[in-house]
Amino acid sequence: MTDATRSGLRLSRIGIYAVLLLAALVYLVPLFVMLLTSFKTPLDIRTGNLLALPTDWTTVGWSKAWSSACTGVECEGVRGYFWNSFKMTVPAVLISTLLGAFNGYVLSKWKFRGSDLFFAMLLFGCFVPFQVVLLPMAATLGKLGLANTTAGLVLVHVIYGVAFTTLFFRNYYVAIPDALVKAARLDGAGFFTIFFRILLPMSTPIFMVSLIWQFTQIWNDFLFGVVFASGDSQPITVALNNLVNTSTGVKEYNVDMAAAMIAALPTLVVYVVAGKYFIRGLTAGSVKG
Amino acid sequence: MSELALRSIRKTYPGAAEETLKGIDIEIASGEFLILVGPSGCGKSTLMNTIAGLESITDGAIVLDGTDISGVEPKDRDIAMVFQSYALYPTMSVRENIAFGLKIRGLPKDDIEQEVQRVADLLQISHLLDKKPARLSGGQQQRVAMGRALARRPRIYLFDEPLSNLDAKLRVEMRTEIKKLHQRLKTTIVYVTHDQIEAMTLADRIAVLKDGELQQLGTPKEVYDTPANLFVAGFMGSPAMSFVPVTVAQGEQGLYGEVIGDDGARTALPLPAYLADRVGQTVTLGIRPEHITQPQDQKNGQALVTTGRFTIEVTEPTGPDVIALIRLNDTGVHCRIDPEHPVTWGESADLMFDMKKVVFFDPDSGLRIPPQ
Repeated sequence: MTDATRSGLRLSRIGIYAVLLLAALVYLVPLFVMLLTSFKTPLDIRTGNLLALPTDWTTVGWSKAWSSACTGVECEGVRGYFWNSFKMTVPAVLISTLLGAFNGYVLSKWKFRGSDLFFAMLLFGCFVPFQVVLLPMAATLGKLGLANTTAGLVLVHVIYGVAFTTLFFRNYYVAIPDALVKAARLDGAGFFTIFFRILLPMSTPIFMVSLIWQFTQIWNDFLFGVVFASGDSQPITVALNNLVNTSTGVKEYNVDMAAAMIAALPTLVVYVVAGKYFIRGLTAGSVKG
Repeated sequence: MSELALRSIRKTYPGAAEETLKGIDIEIASGEFLILVGPSGCGKSTLMNTIAGLESITDGAIVLDGTDISGVEPKDRDIAMVFQSYALYPTMSVRENIAFGLKIRGLPKDDIEQEVQRVADLLQISHLLDKKPARLSGGQQQRVAMGRALARRPRIYLFDEPLSNLDAKLRVEMRTEIKKLHQRLKTTIVYVTHDQIEAMTLADRIAVLKDGELQQLGTPKEVYDTPANLFVAGFMGSPAMSFVPVTVAQGEQGLYGEVIGDDGARTALPLPAYLADRVGQTVTLGIRPEHITQPQDQKNGQALVTTGRFTIEVTEPTGPDVIALIRLNDTGVHCRIDPEHPVTWGESADLMFDMKKVVFFDPDSGLRIPPQ
């Protein structure tokens, strides 16, 4: 390679990185503004530049958003709703992921007559818009006595999530050789033993994918939360909306921003902790270990 | 050890137009090493899966030590299987892999540990016991897979093309090891392969399958020397047997068949007397490469031996032999020639035909014409 082509290559590299950096900056600006604003005083916000650093760093916005901001009539911050969201999200994520793993196991390794059709129909569940099921679901929850409860929300999210988690696990298990299941059957293992002892321990990457996907979906859900929960059982997304819409005189952007950050933090944490598995899990079918 | 009888096994997959297994009858004696061989799609793997219980049969019976097990669940058949892909449990160590079946059967911990150690010593994998399968080489994985089968001391061992994922050198080594192991343990083994050399070297008896039908069942020597039909003859042996149409004629010194070489020269090949009632008819001569060699002095003058001069079309040195291609009656025929007796392609050479072990087939039915 001559020096000329090498320097040409290096120039094009620099160009690529410059474009990528610019794109990253553009996408990070809103987060940057939110973070800065949440640490500013209301005065600072009104008088200063949107992108400028706070003149006085303060965590007043954060503490108010957490424990004393008004979300409608009550003024106790988003604290309670934050835990509501956890109480809803954690069981819903775990149950839907386990059900999906189990469905995927059956649909890939214990095929029955019509199992492919069953799977295809289940996939429709991924494409049903939320709005379509609102009324029938409300009626069902009412009949079950779960209206306006966290358990009801968990049920809704599990039902909605199973289509996706089944898809994840089924496609992951399809790539695992059937010979493993055959070997285990000859070793004397039954249906459940094979699932719990052989397949589930191999599922870490796809488990993480399902976990991240479901956590993000359920934590960030607003529509089901606002329709099927009320008062004490509302998730943080609904509380955030109420907080922003409750105006008592001056708009406290620092509190709004801090509340929004609080609402977004758990999904960020989940992604940072399990993110490396996410990429690995999504590409797992192509390279077997 | 145990004996296994397959009685008219039939298998049709749901929705399939044709039967996959069309009535297979095989008796496998205790301690016997039986090899199922055939081209892909012949039903040999299906047959093995039905023995294991991984697939059901449509009709017939699988009898193990006098008990019909056709309806029994795989886990209750007491049969172990070694898979082509090894199918080792990836999240378990080698030790756990071998112990898995024992644990499920509820053996006491000490017994399991003892059994794992016995198998590991037998297969020389003791130093690998704490490793995960992904860290092992192909040959080591193969050993572990065999260890897992051996640990349970099952009544029958099934091997499903266990060597086909190994490279050529390792394949030959493992082949020898499997043979040694069988000679030592005297286990009943059913072994599926598409490799006819594996079948010849390992088997006590070979079952040749094609299109779900048993073509021939016999010792390697029987299958090689007296193939039942054209398919078996062409399948066993490498390079394959050549098939030349010849017309049986009556000469002064007995029967003969005339073959015409590339250059138009005619050579009369002596034919055995049992073809006497086919004079004037065309039969298919099945001739193996080793039946056509360089002239050998000690064979001169023997009955059913003759020489002729033919043009060598291609030569393929293999080391111990040179495989040469000649043309008889417009059919390519392989000869096996001593490398010390050089032949050159494009030139003609004297070749000796030993017709004592050649076989003949009826061209219509494809069946071998038996000596009377």
